[in-house]
Amino acid sequence: MSHIHIPDGVLPIWLVVIGWIATAVILYLCIRRVRNVQLGRKIPLIGIVSAIMIVGMTLEIVPIAYHINMSVIAGIVLGPALGFISVFIVDLMIAMFGHGGFTVVGLNTLVVGTEAVIGFYLFHALLGLLSSSKTSAGLSAALATMLSLIISTSLMIGIVYVSQVNPQKILHVDKESFIGKVFSLGPHRENEKHEMQDKKIDIETFAKTVLFFGVFGWILEAVITGFVIRYVSRVRPDLILSEVT
Amino acid sequence: MDIGIIDYFANSGKSLLHRASPLYKIISTVFVLSSIVITNDLIVLLSIYLMLASLVILTRLPFLKIISIAAYPAIFAVLFAISSWNEDWIIPATIILKALCAALAMVILIVTTPYPSVFSSISPFLPRVILEGLYLTYRSLFILLELMGNLLRALRIRGGLSPKRYIKNISNFTSGIGLLLIRGFDLSERLYGVMQVRGYSGKIAEEEGKRKLGQEDIFPIAFGLFILSVSLGARLEDDFKLYGIYLLNLSIVFVCCSAYYVYFHNTTRGVFWKR
Repeated sequence: MSHIHIPDGVLPIWLVVIGWIATAVILYLCIRRVRNVQLGRKIPLIGIVSAIMIVGMTLEIVPIAYHINMSVIAGIVLGPALGFISVFIVDLMIAMFGHGGFTVVGLNTLVVGTEAVIGFYLFHALLGLLSSSKTSAGLSAALATMLSLIISTSLMIGIVYVSQVNPQKILHVDKESFIGKVFSLGPHRENEKHEMQDKKIDIETFAKTVLFFGVFGWILEAVITGFVIRYVSRVRPDLILSEVT
Repeated sequence: MDIGIIDYFANSGKSLLHRASPLYKIISTVFVLSSIVITNDLIVLLSIYLMLASLVILTRLPFLKIISIAAYPAIFAVLFAISSWNEDWIIPATIILKALCAALAMVILIVTTPYPSVFSSISPFLPRVILEGLYLTYRSLFILLELMGNLLRALRIRGGLSPKRYIKNISNFTSGIGLLLIRGFDLSERLYGVMQVRGYSGKIAEEEGKRKLGQEDIFPIAFGLFILSVSLGARLEDDFKLYGIYLLNLSIVFVCCSAYYVYFHNTTRGVFWKR
């Protein structure tokens, strides 16, 4: 649920620009960090992990409007820097399918990239704590996913709050236009209109809706990530415990 | 979402839009996206959507399939629209229409332009790592989709996905994804080896993009400029709203003309019959 599915033209321009600038700066730092790594070998890996993320993102769970991101898996496997680069690639490609607005790719990368980066560090921290347990890798991955999703969803709600997205104000929908006059079921009188415009964004409703549907998705994604990492740790432990960037 | 079919549409189509240069199609899409960002008028958005639908008809690709692919983001836009519900349907409708218009504009670009051509056109603006990552993600995507299809079939045949055994199903399915991940890694290593044998030195050859404005490029550019000017007009000129209904009628005429043109000038009918 952390993926921002707000269409183009709803978030204010300044926020969209800040999102792109912040993403560009972080990408620059990530590319600098991986400069000394043998990138030729890592790029096909980025391609595979990004492709798996895209496959996950295109499988939507319709009743709760949720899709799994698999960004924590990307973080664990690729490491924070390459994981962030992979998230940017995925966001750019799915924006081409019209999945989420194109202008919000920067903000989406920040939110989903946070999942990958935090997921990586939490996974390794939890793995250290639970190392005696047989199912430590799976459990650590599940817990790391749950916590990262809580953090990234909070970040997403924070972005919407900062943007002050009161569609009434941002969209400036004109009720005096043809459609407004003919079909509007809302208030028409001037004082009612002002009253409505002064009303603050209903962030509470937005947060409640996102958190209510999101919690099912978090559990599902945590379970999936846990099982996947448990399987990989048994079959190819070198993939998740090797040197990452 | 069937990514394979999108790629097939982009590579097999022969319409006017398919023949236009990727660069000018991208510019046209940027114009349309800018107009969607600029305008908040429901009538203008509805007209843009209908005009985009007329473009879909002109591509001679399956209309309903493309419209349904582009309707996917609406599922998520509904969530945001619900949270902005205020006893008035215009704002939620505007949000959903914005999502639908933007998605349809992007999908039209993608179903008429192969991904590598899009990447080539945006390559001057992207670092090498990201550009190569985009190419290889695109390459890996189709292999993974096939592997995924085989995996699901194998799981069903061997009773790995049985009704009412939810925990077992999740366990089997996620083990399958784990297997997919491992096979993906093996695949990436093999891919790397093949690339090295073929002389890979850290740079993937780019497709030479057509830069000169040709005859086919005039249509997408003119379309994009028309949509942008309509949106700017609606945004800047208050009196423009009086003509909103004419714009809507014009877009309906566009849809009818496109349908008429495609139906009565179907030059590819014989070609399909031969196949």
